[in-house]
Amino acid sequence: MIDLFEIASRFSQAEVKFVIVGGIAIRGHGGNYVTEDLDVCYSRTNENLKRIASVLTPLNPRPRNFPENLPYVFDWTTLQQGTNFTFETSMGDVDLLGEVKGVGSYDDLVPRSLLIDFDGYSAYLLSIPALITAKRAAGRPKDEAGLKVLEALLEASE
Amino acid sequence: MLDPKPGSKIAEARDFGIDLTMLAENLRFTPAERIKRNDQAVNSMLKFQEAVRRAKAGSKAKSQ
Repeated sequence: MIDLFEIASRFSQAEVKFVIVGGIAIRGHGGNYVTEDLDVCYSRTNENLKRIASVLTPLNPRPRNFPENLPYVFDWTTLQQGTNFTFETSMGDVDLLGEVKGVGSYDDLVPRSLLIDFDGYSAYLLSIPALITAKRAAGRPKDEAGLKVLEALLEASE
Repeated sequence: MLDPKPGSKIAEARDFGIDLTMLAENLRFTPAERIKRNDQAVNSMLKFQEAVRRAKAGSKAKSQ
């Protein structure tokens, strides 16, 4: 069973410094987007990498499309070896992004995010204007529908 | 939302093919509820995909 809400909630409980971006952020703002992965932009401090690893380790993360017959060792030092990661876990896919194109890193995203309630915990959700900036910067044809939704939601909120 | 002004971004989204009734429905919920509803939708789709896969496997087995 996919439970992206639970993964994000566990990040919040563990005090991970993260911002929800991508399809789940669009969904959080009211979009009708259905997505199978949780995209988050995260702070790259060692303390935060340890917190992320403490949440993901019980979910047996492995890089997506990694050969099943090969062993894979995951711990917080794994996260020191790169910036962007695409993991599959027992609760669903999680993408960790060190930076969001057009918007920046975690510290740049926080002022452009909303703090939302996550059943008693809180998490940052990238704002609609920042999501629009990111989608435009990505310039992917597949994002066109998402952009239309975001622009409509922005107008509806004004 | 459901009766947008001509030339507005909402009208543009509707003309693009976005279902405004679904956006209006989603806006009734909190962000956390919307994300939970995404999980429910994905799990329903995965169950449906699995049912289709089993049906295809069954019909293939019958034809052999």
